[in-house]
Amino acid sequence: MKAKYIYKVIAGFILVVFAASCKKAELTTFTKIKIPSSSPIQPGNISGFLKGTLLTGQTYTITSDITVKKGDTLASQPGATVVVKNNAQINIQGVLQLLGTKDQPIFFNSDTNQPGTWGGLQCDTAQAITILWTHIDNTGGPDASGSARGTLKVKKAINVDIEDSWFTNGQDDLMAISNGAKIKLLRNTISSSGSTDGEGINLKTGVTGIVAYNVVFSQAGSGIKLETSSSKPFPQTEVDVYNNTVVAVGWRRGSAEPGRGTSVGVNAIGHIYNNIYVNCYHGLELFTDGDIVHTTYGNNLFYATVDHYTDLVDPTLQIDIRAGFYPAGAAGTPQPTDLISTKVGELNPMFVKFDGTVAAPNGFPNTNDFRLQNGSPAFGAGNLNFHNGLGNQDLGAYTTDGKGNQH
Amino acid sequence: MIGRNYLFILFIFFASMASAQTASLKGQVTDAQTKEPLTGAFVHFDGKNGGSVTDAFGRYSISGIAPGSYKLKVKYVGFTEYEEKVTFTAGQAATLNVSLSEKTESLKAVKVYGSANPESEASSRKSEKNADNITNILSAQAMQRSPDINAANALQRVSAITIQRNSGSDEAYAIIRGLEPRYNNTLVNGVKVTSPDPVSRFISLSIVPSDLLDRVEVSKTLTPEMEGDAIGGTVNLVFKDAPEYEYFKANGSIGYSGIFFNRKFDDFNRGAVQTQSPADRFGASYKAPPGYFSRANLDFTKKNAPVTSLFGFTYGRRFFNNKLGFIIADSYQNQYYGTNSQFNNAQLDTRPGKGFQPVISDVANRTYSTQQLNNGLSGHLDYKFDEKNKISLDNVFLYTHLAQTRLSIDTSILGGNGGRVGPGTGTVFNDNRSTIQNQFVENLKLTGKHVIANHFQFDWAGVYSNATQKSPDRADISINHLINPDFSSTPNFFDNISRIWQRNSDKDLSAIANLGYKTGLGEKSSLEIKVGGLYRHSTRFNTQNEYTLRPTATANGVKRPFTDIYNADWIVYDVTGSLASDKANYTAYENITAGYGEVKLTLDKLDIVGGIRTEGTVQGYDTHPVVLDVRSNAKKTYTDLLPSLQLKYKLTDNSNVRASYFKSISRPALFELVPTPTLGQATDVTGNPLVQHTVADNYDLRYELYPGKEEQLFVGGFYKNIINPIEFALNDLSGGQLNTSPQNFGTAKVAGAEIVYSRYFGNIGVSGNYTYTYSNIKTTKIYTSTDASGVTTSVPKLQDRPLQGQTGDVVNLSLLYKNDKQKVFAQLAYTYTSKTLALVYSNYGYDYYQQPQSFLALSGEKQVSKHFTLTAKVNNLLNTPTTIKINNLVQSKDVYNASFNVGFRYSL
Repeated sequence: MKAKYIYKVIAGFILVVFAASCKKAELTTFTKIKIPSSSPIQPGNISGFLKGTLLTGQTYTITSDITVKKGDTLASQPGATVVVKNNAQINIQGVLQLLGTKDQPIFFNSDTNQPGTWGGLQCDTAQAITILWTHIDNTGGPDASGSARGTLKVKKAINVDIEDSWFTNGQDDLMAISNGAKIKLLRNTISSSGSTDGEGINLKTGVTGIVAYNVVFSQAGSGIKLETSSSKPFPQTEVDVYNNTVVAVGWRRGSAEPGRGTSVGVNAIGHIYNNIYVNCYHGLELFTDGDIVHTTYGNNLFYATVDHYTDLVDPTLQIDIRAGFYPAGAAGTPQPTDLISTKVGELNPMFVKFDGTVAAPNGFPNTNDFRLQNGSPAFGAGNLNFHNGLGNQDLGAYTTDGKGNQH
Repeated sequence: MIGRNYLFILFIFFASMASAQTASLKGQVTDAQTKEPLTGAFVHFDGKNGGSVTDAFGRYSISGIAPGSYKLKVKYVGFTEYEEKVTFTAGQAATLNVSLSEKTESLKAVKVYGSANPESEASSRKSEKNADNITNILSAQAMQRSPDINAANALQRVSAITIQRNSGSDEAYAIIRGLEPRYNNTLVNGVKVTSPDPVSRFISLSIVPSDLLDRVEVSKTLTPEMEGDAIGGTVNLVFKDAPEYEYFKANGSIGYSGIFFNRKFDDFNRGAVQTQSPADRFGASYKAPPGYFSRANLDFTKKNAPVTSLFGFTYGRRFFNNKLGFIIADSYQNQYYGTNSQFNNAQLDTRPGKGFQPVISDVANRTYSTQQLNNGLSGHLDYKFDEKNKISLDNVFLYTHLAQTRLSIDTSILGGNGGRVGPGTGTVFNDNRSTIQNQFVENLKLTGKHVIANHFQFDWAGVYSNATQKSPDRADISINHLINPDFSSTPNFFDNISRIWQRNSDKDLSAIANLGYKTGLGEKSSLEIKVGGLYRHSTRFNTQNEYTLRPTATANGVKRPFTDIYNADWIVYDVTGSLASDKANYTAYENITAGYGEVKLTLDKLDIVGGIRTEGTVQGYDTHPVVLDVRSNAKKTYTDLLPSLQLKYKLTDNSNVRASYFKSISRPALFELVPTPTLGQATDVTGNPLVQHTVADNYDLRYELYPGKEEQLFVGGFYKNIINPIEFALNDLSGGQLNTSPQNFGTAKVAGAEIVYSRYFGNIGVSGNYTYTYSNIKTTKIYTSTDASGVTTSVPKLQDRPLQGQTGDVVNLSLLYKNDKQKVFAQLAYTYTSKTLALVYSNYGYDYYQQPQSFLALSGEKQVSKHFTLTAKVNNLLNTPTTIKINNLVQSKDVYNASFNVGFRYSL
């Protein structure tokens, strides 16, 4: 009896404590006030000197070149759409902030939706560049002298932050960044760019920063190219290139000038880890004039879906893709941590969906899904800390830790 | 006019010729003092047409003389006139040798203006001796002494002048005291004749026939009445007045360039070059189809080089009692020449242990094959109203047609785009180009000279000048292939074609007026005051339209292989061309307003010339369209006050000492201001609107000794403080083209000394000069080094270097041989120039220097009949290349080989 009473008291006590602890937490709520955007730009035709904010859900038509002057900012809210006519280009001398979101990306395209039909973002003397969750398609139309324009050009020591964006069907270099810019190029997808020349990410003359979790598919020239200038070899270009998936690049320039998945030349320093190179004309090439002493690399996966690729131009030319993983004559050599396929089927990264593209035309549709299937050898093969704490346990742009590409 | 003083020896031999009805006269005219034969003396009978001009050996002959008495006259510039009464009988063949004596110098000061048409008073040596400023003069007399066909050859023998010949052609530009052409002026009759060619700012001296020249004046110091934009000096080519006698001379020669003994001439189909671009023909919005662009001008064929031919004539005479005279000359040169060139790209060697020294990264071999047709038509018309009034009209029209093939093979040997594992492997780029350039230069000058009163003289000039260049369809194709490690090769891939239609034009209008007052100050002194001014309005435009043809990709998007141009398949990438958007389209202008006051004071043995000149300049340009990435327009305004003081002291009758100070400027050329590339053969120049004009303080000292006739010894020194010299900095060299920009790097100090000597020993003449120049300018360069802990830094560091284009040592030596009996002339000319800074580069110890060069030229002629002379010439006997080095690294080397010429000369 007595014991029963004690139990009841204890139970009661526990109940009270429990009830007290279950009491609803205090709730503070804020009503979201709609802050009007500064300098909203009215939808419709735009041209000439421009600053202000492109608005969510609005469509803008650029009818001739746009210039954002020094000190001015061109910003975009998520979900704005920009259509470019008349081969116009956007010159940025001030600040560019294209702040799309996963749910509401921003769109830039030409009215004709054909490759090479507008001039892209010419940010040579910009003050800062931020591009998030933005589609930039069909750039690269001829410039004043008739040459193809790069899609995004920066020639100044500024911060360039480009994340989670899509670039397709450019005509020359897709990103050409030089003169000491500090870069963060993360989780972007670059597809089918460069007509018969042009690199995907071309970094020169003292650029420093990170290129990670990007997908480069079917670029005419090299996927990612690092150089310092031959006339200004210092300060050096030094970039961490890791966890990128580079597929089917380097074919369209012809066999006289093969493109590479990644190259390091002219006194540049690269730290190249955890990348996947599939069906690239050449894989990883460290030119003898690069800063080979300070360049580090390893944990890269190289694979080819065919033994030989028959050159369409000269059918007698049978290109052995595997022989070009580390091209002859260059300073790069296979590393023990690399995963290097020696036959079709071996060390296949097992993309979720891949059409087997080797050489394809400019503007070729990218319908692939470069996520990895379970059992891919790329899982767990990564270097977790190759340089300054950077790294990942997996290889390629799509990783199990969720830090990778979101496309 | 002046009292005659006969110092002559007269021999008349009579010989009877029974059958002839008319008489004849022949003989030789010589210098009484030196016994040298005089060339170009005019022998005639007073009041009669006709007569004879002495040949190179002083000989003349007149036939068909009706029997009777005549007054025989012999005239020669700088000598007293000879006059003698002679009587001829029928059939007589007389011989008369005449010796003339030099006019003695008048010691009296000239106090009034005499004639509007003063005869060239004396030989060149006397002109030099008496000139107000430091001058070297080459007279027609001196030109006739030796076989010079054009002004360039003649100038080779003037003190401290170097003739720059860089392309293997006959093109020639004057360099004074080792200072490159940009610091000098080349004038024709005192007027600048600008070239439409942006690279060479003046017309080639080889286009002006020496027959047309009265004299060539080289002024190394400026008096206030002279245009102020010459720091090194001025070369003035002065045309002759029409001679009193009928004058006709012609020459012709054929030649061959030695380079074509070893290789063929690369040619292309000139007919396929379309003079009009699609936009020119159909309007700016016309979308050019691929078929518009011709192919045959990119089909390069090899053939034997045709023979070079040169032809020229000069004709002149006077009418209406000698009041109206004209002289006309045409010089035609159709030359085929070539250059074999090695052109290497250099960069800093950043490989470990290489110490950041320059290293060759790419090598290219180029062959140029050029046809250049020049035709220069010069005319002079003068009308002498009376002794005190004269007007003249001078016209120079030049036409140049240049057709050039450039074949280039380029390969990277260091990193670059890879593929190279050793010699003979890697990607090879072929870049082949066909170019046609047509240039037209028209220069018209009307001048008048009026003696208003004995003490006043007024002269004026109006000048119209127009220089146009048209370069239709400059076509450039690039293809490439890879030589694999096993030396197998990929096919050639078709990379790109560019087609450029370009034209530019410079137009000048000038008005010049001067007023002089002269009076005596006692027995031996005089005073002359001059005031005057100039206004010049110049405009320039440049139009460029470029079409880019890109290969049609194959089904898998890959570049197409290239088999030949007829099977190449392309799309026109910019269908409307670059005309509407090309920033190389611009207009530019320059207005110069100048005025001066000058005083010349002659005090017995001392001459003082001094005064001040002011030159106001407005320069500017506008690009069409307005572009954002460059400065689309600029206007520069500046005014310079240019004082000048020249002192001459007559130490003895045959020696002078001179001292002078003057301030002068050098303006940037208009294209040098426009910040868009001007395309050249191997160098593109991107202008710089921030470049400032150059201002220099110049100090000169010279001692002159004239020991005897035709003998001279000059010793001199000079110092120049040159503020903001304009020098060319190398931006980059890509695609086998250099890209440079004009820049100011600070202040240069230039100091030098020169010595000139010439003398004749019987049949042999020696003439030589040597100029030593020291120059220094400091420039901030990037210096890269690695410290003990392995950290590499690039820091700014000052570097001492010479002024760009300044040659340290210049030697000219020429040996003249003349044999009267054999009627033979021969001349051996030697020129040496030491190392010269060609381009300034941004890295420390990394400038581009042109290496020392020695040139030897041999020319000779033999008179075979009264009218005909055979001529022969070999240029560049030593096969001297033009080599540019960075330290010991050969960046480029151009080889032209010797060129050979044989021909004839005919004179009436």
